[in-house]
Amino acid sequence: MAKYIAKRILSTIPVLLGIILLIFFMLNVIPGDPVTVMMKEHLKEDVIENLRQSMHLDDPFFVRYFHYVSGAVRGDLGMSWKLHRPVTSLIADAFPYTLRLAVCAALFSWIIGIPVGIISAIKKGTLLDHVSMGVSLFGVSMPVFWIALILQNAFMRVLPVSGVDSWKCYILPTIVLGWSTAGRIARLTRSNLLEVMRNDYIRTARSKGLSPAAVIFRHALKNALIPVITVMALQVSSLLSGAVITETVFSIPGIGSLAVTAINNRDMPLLQGTVIFTALIIIAGNLAADLLYTAIDPRIRVD
Amino acid sequence: MNSILEIRGLVTSFATDGRKDRAVAVNGVDIDIPRGAIVGLVGESGCGKSVTALSTLGLLPENGRVDAGSAMFGGQDLLKLKDHELRRIRGNRISMIFQEPMTSLNPIMTIGRQVSESIMLHGGVDKATARARAIEMLEKVGIPEAKRRYDSYPHELSGGLRQRVLIGMAMVMQPDLLIADEPTTALDVSIEAQILRLMRDLQRESGTSILLITHNLGVVAELCDSVCVMYAGEVVERADVFTLFRGCAHPYTRGLMAALPRMAMKGQRLYNIPGSVPNLWSMPAGCRFSPRCEFAKESCRQEKPALADLGDGHLCRCLFPLDDVPQHEGDNP
Ligand SMILES: Nc1ncnc2c1ncn2[C@@H]1O[C@H](COP(=O)(O)OP(=O)(O)OP(=O)(O)O)[C@@H](O)[C@H]1O
Ligand SMILES: [Mg+2]
Repeated sequence: MAKYIAKRILSTIPVLLGIILLIFFMLNVIPGDPVTVMMKEHLKEDVIENLRQSMHLDDPFFVRYFHYVSGAVRGDLGMSWKLHRPVTSLIADAFPYTLRLAVCAALFSWIIGIPVGIISAIKKGTLLDHVSMGVSLFGVSMPVFWIALILQNAFMRVLPVSGVDSWKCYILPTIVLGWSTAGRIARLTRSNLLEVMRNDYIRTARSKGLSPAAVIFRHALKNALIPVITVMALQVSSLLSGAVITETVFSIPGIGSLAVTAINNRDMPLLQGTVIFTALIIIAGNLAADLLYTAIDPRIRVD
Repeated sequence: MNSILEIRGLVTSFATDGRKDRAVAVNGVDIDIPRGAIVGLVGESGCGKSVTALSTLGLLPENGRVDAGSAMFGGQDLLKLKDHELRRIRGNRISMIFQEPMTSLNPIMTIGRQVSESIMLHGGVDKATARARAIEMLEKVGIPEAKRRYDSYPHELSGGLRQRVLIGMAMVMQPDLLIADEPTTALDVSIEAQILRLMRDLQRESGTSILLITHNLGVVAELCDSVCVMYAGEVVERADVFTLFRGCAHPYTRGLMAALPRMAMKGQRLYNIPGSVPNLWSMPAGCRFSPRCEFAKESCRQEKPALADLGDGHLCRCLFPLDDVPQHEGDNP
């Protein structure tokens, strides 16, 4: 098992290197000379040239890639061109906000999504089922910013709609960010549970004389939730992309806001850093889901 | 007669998408299972054997419903019991084994737990006791290294071993009645013989009565005391094994017997009853078997035959029961 985990972690390294290469390549074809961005037009030619050299902007692409990767391994993602601080420390400042928001939204989506899915499956075809599936579909299909604006308007008087001054500030962003995932999880839980209930082993469980609750919770639910775990991996990326919008709308100084700032400033190292960091988180999410899968499903357990 | 289970006039129907009328899959079935006996329930695929079994235990799928009939078991009508009353009987006094050993076990629960689950539920014992009894049962049904296998998952076992686990699971509470729905159809012939022998041994030891559903008359000849032949949702013939194999009275039963590999000549193609089981919505008028029956007369297509007693408890649903039959020369007086 430990060997499998180690192998799985090692296998993410080439993926990560590839992603960095891709991002590095894409961001380096975007026009906009950083020296010009920082210094405007006040400088003489030779000063600009000096600066460009000190920033290795004239080095060949792969040399710069190599420098960047070797820096990144040591936790150095370069300096922000605009904010004049190490990218790593900017990310370190911003990440706790994003993490808090994402964890709250993830918990929200699980705590709401799974029970709603179970109840809908049990009460299949009733009004309760139709209403909860409708609300779920609403969350899945509405754009995040739209839900954000509606909730902001609806709760303006009761809850804070921007900033991070108290825990209350996280309530609306959590709902906004978690709703679509909660909806997806509820719908998936419901359909998987209904599917699993048709299996032969459920009939076996019933033929033993188990109560309906025991059949569902001991035999059906775990089987039904195995595919739902896959959603968790996808959830990491959708939470992070949703966070960009949510953080902007609710003025939360997280990674999303940082990336938006970087884009507005054409701040290449900062943008590069946030995107690569995000990719790292998504890879970690996939890895975690994989390992969880292995832990739950004995059929794919590897020695 | 001292019966453990008496099914009378069982009618079961299914709701089907896009149809207003229900499909009647079982239409007035009577079956008796004498205490300690092995009764065979035979018939081609789709004639309602599984539905009969599932109906008596309240295990029908959602769209199925028992419309009429009774199933007397120990003085109670199983069809009238409330769900929680029926649950005390299921897996305890009546248990069931299903056709598909590959899919009938929960893939993510150890086989040992699946056996001990029943013991804890009905036996009211603690985990350790249940575990010990489960291991004992696994040994009894021939699982090698039962102690170690207790913690195995179903996918680590062969089909034959899984069916043994299922038998162990069904027998662990020493039920009064075991309903085995084609327990060996999914298995190799060599393993089939082992499993059937195991069931017979367990039956002799515990005195459990068995309703053995199969479409193999050969298995019936080997194992059963009496037989019930079903066709298109109805019982068409019922007799003890000796009587039936000496001379069956219903043309359908005779067709089934002719289809037995043993009775076919070497090198000759296996006989099959021509035609197929009628659709649930287009049941023939009169005798349901008449369109496929080589002996059918005009009256067979109009008049519905009743299940009549030919003497000695040999029942047959046919206007013109065969009486010539003994197919083996010599043993007819
Ligand atoms: N859930 C269901 N919905 C609708 N019809 C059903 C359902 N289950 C069974 N039937 C119908 O009931 C009839 C009897 O089916 P049953 O499963 O009892 O046959 P069987 O004799 O057990 O056959 P086999 O040897 O294939 O197991 C068939 O025509 C089948 O199509
Ligand atoms: Mg069947």
